[in-house]
Amino acid sequence: MTIIQVPRPDPKQSMDPHRPVNALLKAQIQHLYDAELKLPAARQSDIYINAIKTEGEAADYVRRVTEAIHQAHDAAAAKRTKRKRKPGIAIAAAAEPRRGRKRTSPTKGKKTSKAKPKRKR
Amino acid sequence: MPPGLDNLRHIVVLMMENRSFDHMLGSLKAVDSRIDGITDQLSNPDATGALVKPQPLADFQGQLEPDPDHHFPAVDLQIFGGDTSPGRVANMQGFVKSYFDQQRDVKHSQKIMYYFAQNQLPVLTTLALEFAVFNRWFASIPGPTICNRAFAHYGTSFGRVDMNLLYVGEPFKSIYDRLINAHPKHTAKLYYYDTSSSTMEITNLLQNQPQLFGTYEQFLRDCRKGTLPDYSFVEPNYSDHDSDVGAELANDQHPDHNVQAGELFIASVYNAIKQNPKLWASTALLVVYDEHGGIYDHVVPPACPPDKFTAPPNDTGTGAEFKFDRLGVRVPAILISPWIPKNTVVDRTFDHASIPATVTKFFLGDYSPRSPRETNADVFIEANVAPVDPTRNLLSLDNMRTDCPDFGV
Repeated sequence: MTIIQVPRPDPKQSMDPHRPVNALLKAQIQHLYDAELKLPAARQSDIYINAIKTEGEAADYVRRVTEAIHQAHDAAAAKRTKRKRKPGIAIAAAAEPRRGRKRTSPTKGKKTSKAKPKRKR
Repeated sequence: MPPGLDNLRHIVVLMMENRSFDHMLGSLKAVDSRIDGITDQLSNPDATGALVKPQPLADFQGQLEPDPDHHFPAVDLQIFGGDTSPGRVANMQGFVKSYFDQQRDVKHSQKIMYYFAQNQLPVLTTLALEFAVFNRWFASIPGPTICNRAFAHYGTSFGRVDMNLLYVGEPFKSIYDRLINAHPKHTAKLYYYDTSSSTMEITNLLQNQPQLFGTYEQFLRDCRKGTLPDYSFVEPNYSDHDSDVGAELANDQHPDHNVQAGELFIASVYNAIKQNPKLWASTALLVVYDEHGGIYDHVVPPACPPDKFTAPPNDTGTGAEFKFDRLGVRVPAILISPWIPKNTVVDRTFDHASIPATVTKFFLGDYSPRSPRETNADVFIEANVAPVDPTRNLLSLDNMRTDCPDFGV
């Protein structure tokens, strides 16, 4: 089967990151801005969207907010996984004698077993 | 059961931007008279009243500047020629008038009638002639990108005809939600080009379910490894920008981005699937455009059953409400699979609601709730359930083709 060659445009002629943003990109920026406002402040960009005039500037903003959304969700998912592990760790911690603190035991002064409590593995 | 449907495991949709059927594929009428493209009888009046004919003078870039208006009021003018009376009849006579409104330049306004010669678009025209080209695939609404793309994701635009924030109204789930929450579970992914281009479905999907998304690099990897999900939606690059790998040229074909860059992208998606023989045998790829971008097409969009939403006059900008009971302007649409006979021409009517309708029917069968527009939309792939209507099944070959084209990119 013959291979149909597909002409490749010359980026030097075609590429223009200074091209003014079109209506579609403006709408995309607006939608991303709405999403950005819901992100924690630390994840928001320092870009003033009304100052975005070119495709290159738009692409920069789009990247920052898209990545921030992904990162915020990833961070929340990681916290959820960590919280799920917590109940096991708490039980083990409660079973161990605390170091550096006097034990106030209701059996203080009375003879008790000196055997160490078994650690829950 | 037809082997094409028996083997089908993946549906991929690539949705490009803002070009009409006549503009991209109209030249093919001269090659195959069944393709409803450009004829000598077509014209539009310009601002002086002179009739302007379509001409094969489209340029890859630098011609449609400013971006032709494709918002609801402008498309209304394009379809109805400026007639706003009750009982008006669509005549597709307002394209040059509409483009003239933007710059008041008579000569420049005529360029909205230009179309591409066949040899300028070797990828799109080859695919149209080699596989199944749709004579009657329309944008879902006579308006802009975001609400048209919403029909591809949800089967509705929830009453929106503009580019403003579009919040999903329950209970119509996205096609992705339906698949990943089905029993048994299916898989679905949206692949955007890169994070600098991202997706146009931000308000609902990216913001709330970013795990649904991957990059185009991942799509290529998934094709190589054979790990493509059941359903994939691919978005092109919406902007010229620099990246870690160098300059990235916008390849969505939205004016005034380079059309050849889009041809390369379409070829790249096709090649990625075809170069994995197992994937090629089990995948159907739909290449479609979201809307016509304000560019001339001659076919009157038909009426359709209304959606459950109504856009008020303030939103339409025309002084009249819109009940989503008329489709948008015709766009190029091609279905690709080695099980489709060469030179297939499809005359049934489709719009973007056909996408979730088809994917749902094929993978899930009966499903509700869905919007009235989706429930009434035709499907482009039959469900693999007996009896399969042979007059409707496009993946109809008994044996897989071995003569499908290859593109050198």
